[in-house]
Amino acid sequence: MPETALSPVAEGTSPASTLEELARELGVRKVTVLTEEILRDGSGALATSVTRAAAAAVVRNPWAGSAVSTDLAPETERLAPVLAKILTDRLTEALGGAGEIEAFGKSAVVGLKGEVEHAAALIHTPFFGNLVREFLEGTSILSFSDDRAEPGNTIAVPMWHKEAASTRSHYQTLTLSLSDAPHPNEIVVVAAASTGSRPHPRIGDRTTDRPVTAEILEGIL
Amino acid sequence: MNIRKIVTLSEEILTEGGRPVTPGARVAIAVAVVENPWAGHGFVEDLTAGIDATASDLGALLTPKVIEALGAPVEAYGKAAIVGIEGEVEHGSALIHTLKFGDHYRKAASATTLLPAVEKRAPAGTVFDIPMKHITDATIRSHHQSVEVRVADAPHPGEILIALAASAQGRPQERLAPLSTEQ
Repeated sequence: MPETALSPVAEGTSPASTLEELARELGVRKVTVLTEEILRDGSGALATSVTRAAAAAVVRNPWAGSAVSTDLAPETERLAPVLAKILTDRLTEALGGAGEIEAFGKSAVVGLKGEVEHAAALIHTPFFGNLVREFLEGTSILSFSDDRAEPGNTIAVPMWHKEAASTRSHYQTLTLSLSDAPHPNEIVVVAAASTGSRPHPRIGDRTTDRPVTAEILEGIL
Repeated sequence: MNIRKIVTLSEEILTEGGRPVTPGARVAIAVAVVENPWAGHGFVEDLTAGIDATASDLGALLTPKVIEALGAPVEAYGKAAIVGIEGEVEHGSALIHTLKFGDHYRKAASATTLLPAVEKRAPAGTVFDIPMKHITDATIRSHHQSVEVRVADAPHPGEILIALAASAQGRPQERLAPLSTEQ
């Protein structure tokens, strides 16, 4: 087996035979998938329902309690690609394939014994972002949130269009919470996706906006 | 029946108490957020018409959703009704406490026991726990468990949130002596 950043085991031992075993070896405690199919909103039904999904992995923080001088790269390169694979597998399964996905986003929430930088390490490098983009067949940069929190905190995952980030109709947020995560020494890593826009989008787009500057306040303030 | 949205949640637990859980323990829920059939009608004495119009359809809708989200045979199950603050708890109970609702799930899961339930009236975003017990013998202690649910924007005051829950196994790392050892 060639040596790669993904190599999960020491030389001389056999590799994990399934993604589930690999996840367990990397310290993943659980994987949660939320889906939300919106059929109507406000006073009207949607012509086509929109389904949004979030996949969240709860993983042991390999840097909990470590010094701020610790190099985060080695563990990031080991963990982040596997998390990207696990989470995007769940998203494509939940939403009917990458071809159905129009918008995407990501989040990471670190437990109280970690730094926000630890959460950032797992989602803000190519070892996570590039793989999520590739698996979900997008080209945009991924919108994100990161946070440090107690278990059960609300996690708002922002999403935008996977190929045209400035498409206003697709700015949307999916909210989830995990009752028992993150523990103080854990990190929750989330990838989210949507099959469409917000319900009833009707706030125009940058192509239809007239020029707006602070001059519009003249005479009002 | 006026459904605003359908939510599913599935959870696979790979480790618990610092030890592996093999295979991963799976739990799932399926939720429908529906308009309260009795909202705005004052005190309705006879709930039969609203039950007939809604309960069976909800059971038929949610049953395949929760089973698909679980992705494994159901061993323990439960249900929930969370009523928005303009309704009565009795409205939620009406939608889940008839055979019209529950028999869809019982049949699909080859189950025989009553579904454990939670009913409450609450604002949107409330946290509730769905109790689950074994599908053919509610005394099987290994399968007593709960799953927590929260839907950030439901139920609205005039809505009811109806849910089914499923577990593919007992609790992760379950190791309590069975009830029979104490009898």
